[in-house]
Amino acid sequence: MMDTRVTVKSQDGVEGMDPNNATETAPVFRTRDLAVYYGDFRAVRDVNIEIRGQDITAFIGPSGCGKSTVLRCFDRMNDLSPSARVDGTVEYHGIDLYGKDVDAVEVRRRVGMVFQKPNPVPKSIYDNLAFGPRLNGIKKKAELDEIVESSLKRAALWDEVKDRLKASAMGLSGGQQQRLCIARCIAVKPDVILMDEPCSALDPIATARIEDLMQEIKQDFTIIIVTHNMQQAARVSDRTAFFTTEVNPESDRRTGVLVEFDDTQKIFSNPGDDRTEAYVTGRFG
Amino acid sequence: MTMEETRKLFHKDLSEVHQELVRVAAGIVESIPRCTTILLEQDLTGAETMILADDDVDRRTHELEQRCIQILALQAPVASDLRQVVAALKMCAELERSGDLVVNICKAARRIYGHDFDPRLRGLVVKMSEQARQLFSEATSSYATGDAARAAAIDDMDAFLDDLQRQFIQAVLESHSAGRIDLQVAIQLAVVARFYERLGDHAVNIGEKVRFEITGWLPEHSGADRFRQRRSEGTTSHPAGGESA
Repeated sequence: MMDTRVTVKSQDGVEGMDPNNATETAPVFRTRDLAVYYGDFRAVRDVNIEIRGQDITAFIGPSGCGKSTVLRCFDRMNDLSPSARVDGTVEYHGIDLYGKDVDAVEVRRRVGMVFQKPNPVPKSIYDNLAFGPRLNGIKKKAELDEIVESSLKRAALWDEVKDRLKASAMGLSGGQQQRLCIARCIAVKPDVILMDEPCSALDPIATARIEDLMQEIKQDFTIIIVTHNMQQAARVSDRTAFFTTEVNPESDRRTGVLVEFDDTQKIFSNPGDDRTEAYVTGRFG
Repeated sequence: MTMEETRKLFHKDLSEVHQELVRVAAGIVESIPRCTTILLEQDLTGAETMILADDDVDRRTHELEQRCIQILALQAPVASDLRQVVAALKMCAELERSGDLVVNICKAARRIYGHDFDPRLRGLVVKMSEQARQLFSEATSSYATGDAARAAAIDDMDAFLDDLQRQFIQAVLESHSAGRIDLQVAIQLAVVARFYERLGDHAVNIGEKVRFEITGWLPEHSGADRFRQRRSEGTTSHPAGGESA
């Protein structure tokens, strides 16, 4: 692990970095005493969590509990915010994700993100899909065509858009745009897909489509979803992490903490921690 | 995050269901010695009143069941809320059936009207009745107070009632052989003993629901264990040969 940069850059799988080489028991992500600061404000502290491959993991908790902040550590999105500082470690298939030789851009190629608001680029449907692969150096039209088609098919969008691939992506409905964003994510063949409230701007039917889609693609991708909708977490995820906020009595500032991480079935039928119980049943205090 | 309870109306609904179930269960506790007195004193009017009163138990458990289904459909309860609704649904079935058993004892009282039976049998009926009442009272109290430890003890108490039932059947057979009661009465009394014993079993079941509600515990069914054991040994002889047990 001396030359991490080479390891991360490598496409053909150097040991420890290529998900295909990972042993079955090795977690995709492992954090140790993870804390994130914005300036001198500590947003979340002491997060120790292991994310297994081919699982859908849901992060739930009240606003300000740090669930999105932790999610953004997994693709180093926090780097983009100048005041953010990450303490502790985040390992990705055993590699220190914040090691100084690790290329954040390469991390984001392997770890895709789907945001709350669908964010297609104002170009054609085809160009939205081909954008990432082109950036990765794929130039042949036939090859790009194939990636566009297969990604749209995986995202269950192909039948709806195959006759208008050259039309603007902005003309799609909100739900279609979100599936386009998932297809765009899939097009660069990532290992992990992070989703930050992917359905909160969608109606129930569009939400159900995204949830179905998550189930269909979970065999090939590790998915972590942040959601405010507890029923969504219960419906789609295998494992659920509950975060909450703790108030520092001196500074009156709030810090997020991970309370409980367990099988989703357990969290919603018989949680181990009273705070989880209080949150999922709506009994606070 | 404000530390304030949300979904207050939903939780109020849950606690109302709980309270109403406690009231129905307490009614059954009271009806057990009453049906015994009716049986021993050959009180035909009392029997009629009790049989009619059971319609009200049916109505109340039916309404509670509908309310639970509504809660499941509209509130999507989770965690302890979910366990509370599931336990309540099962409680409805236990209480409805227990009410029927009390009615059955009253109907048996009508069938043996005009026939006397000896003091030893009468004494054992009182003992069985008292034991069944006590079991049901324990089950009701543990449900009312959410006391899982108390609920867990009910199963052990039930062994005593089972034992009384065996003694009673033996005494009925002896009484019949000695020519003190005719066959018709002997059969009715044996069935009555079975009703008390079943009331005890329902009390045990309620205890299990309380444990589930409070701790998430599910009873280990010994039959399921035996089936798994046989399957792992490859000696399953079920005709369907697999999952359909």
